[in-house]
Amino acid sequence: MSKITIPFGPQHPALKEPENFMLVLEGEQITSAGINLGYNHRGMEKAAEGRTYIQNLYLIERVCGICSHSHTTTYITNVEELAKAEVPQRALAIRTLFAELERVHSHLLWLGVAGYEMGFETLFMYTWRDREQVLDCLELLSGNRVHYSINTLGGVRRDITAEQKAEVLKRIKYLEERTQYYIKLATQEPTVLARTANVGKLPYDVAIERGAVGPTARASGVARDVRKDDPYLLYAQLDFNLITHNTNDVFGRLVVRALELVESYKIINQVLNNLPEGPVAVKVPMKVAPGECVNHYEAPRGEDIHYLKSNGTDKPERLKVRAPTLANLQSVAYMLEGGWLADVPLVIAAIDPCMSCTDRAAVWNPKKGKTEVYSWEEMRKLGIEQYKRRGVDFSRL
Amino acid sequence: MSEFEKEEKIKAGLEAKFPGAVTNALVQRKNRVWLDAAGEKLPEILAWMKAGGFNHLATVTGFDEGENLGAYYHMTDTKIIVTLKVKTPRANPSIPSVLSVFPGAVSYEKELEDMLGIKVQGLPPGRRYPLAEDFPVGQYPLRKDWKTEDYLAQQPSLKTETK
Repeated sequence: MSKITIPFGPQHPALKEPENFMLVLEGEQITSAGINLGYNHRGMEKAAEGRTYIQNLYLIERVCGICSHSHTTTYITNVEELAKAEVPQRALAIRTLFAELERVHSHLLWLGVAGYEMGFETLFMYTWRDREQVLDCLELLSGNRVHYSINTLGGVRRDITAEQKAEVLKRIKYLEERTQYYIKLATQEPTVLARTANVGKLPYDVAIERGAVGPTARASGVARDVRKDDPYLLYAQLDFNLITHNTNDVFGRLVVRALELVESYKIINQVLNNLPEGPVAVKVPMKVAPGECVNHYEAPRGEDIHYLKSNGTDKPERLKVRAPTLANLQSVAYMLEGGWLADVPLVIAAIDPCMSCTDRAAVWNPKKGKTEVYSWEEMRKLGIEQYKRRGVDFSRL
Repeated sequence: MSEFEKEEKIKAGLEAKFPGAVTNALVQRKNRVWLDAAGEKLPEILAWMKAGGFNHLATVTGFDEGENLGAYYHMTDTKIIVTLKVKTPRANPSIPSVLSVFPGAVSYEKELEDMLGIKVQGLPPGRRYPLAEDFPVGQYPLRKDWKTEDYLAQQPSLKTETK
């Protein structure tokens, strides 16, 4: 049978974000896969060099929509290490709380996407409905559902009240019950097993060889979790388990994420019930003494690593960001090879890829041959007009 | 020996195994070791470290130091991060590829080529990453003398107009 090469992406209905896979097919089976990236490159590392440490906080938060807290915490840990700032314990506890709420939000989102990709849309509906509970927690605590902006130099920006604590605990209790149902579903439901078992195999040796991180690596039996290995924030004092699985396939990645949810609830309960007293932030000078440091962090998708070099001014000399997906993508090529075309979306989704895709709203005007950028007022006016045409008037609000 | 026994051991081991090729080794704090490495010995050092448990190359940071361009290899056994700094002259920047040791490092090495113009010897040909295909050849955005404003001024098609 002759071989056919087909491009999968960068724009493809099965992909949520732009990336390109060149798949070589022999019939329905994939014989080799190549990955091309860079469609979302926004030059953030260069941009960071021209901004102050505090401005960069807001830039770095937008590296990724879901891991917004992961990236800012890694960045700020570096800045605080260079500035030799003593962050109060209560601030560290609040950061830990947000980190775990973010993990719950991300893993529930992934469960939904995985359900959708395997043709089990009820699971998608259920998990995304329940995910609203954790998003409500985040909104309650920070005012925002996704970009929480809770971190600031030297601590966090908001404290937690007793009422907020009770509300969060109530929602986590509900999620704990629901997660037990998902675990049962993930391990016993025949549809799930049929679609995920022995799909997208990644043996232990290959996972190490290709530098896989996070749940992708842990599902191949690699016991690697920065929270355990090089504890940051309050993780050294907390009681939780490192979850691994040894089936090396999409099923394993599903089980690891479902069980990690339970560990995250454990951490959230511990942190909220033992919140240290005291201030939530200390003052940090704007200028940071020359130095360099590197720190890593266990984001929902795996190890996130930042390198920071300061030069004595209020702006960094160099900031390097390596998000977990970049480390995992080299493994995807391996997982796809030898598999079936129909499994491609599921295998790609199984590493929970995140290409970071926020962008400005730029509109190409072919008549003028120019790109036009809408201002906020323009966008708002456009939105109101569009709804007016449908009979809804928002202008009075 | 200080409180950082493990870190000191790694440092001493590298210095003993690669005399001359490993210099300025420093234990910065718990779990962090920094050192300068000779470029031509790099794959050999990484292979030795990998066999000793440092089997994860977390990433490679490219850095414009002025006269030299640097590539910083962040190696980890997930607990300790050892950063190997390789320097190469700006006039003719070139380092050997480490793909024979870490096949997963291909995107990190491509990034060095694309963003800083460091020639990585032994990197297989392929599409560029991470810059766009129509990005001008010979411009390296992460070098300090590359200014975003100058680039935008050269590109009439990128001129945006705020309505």
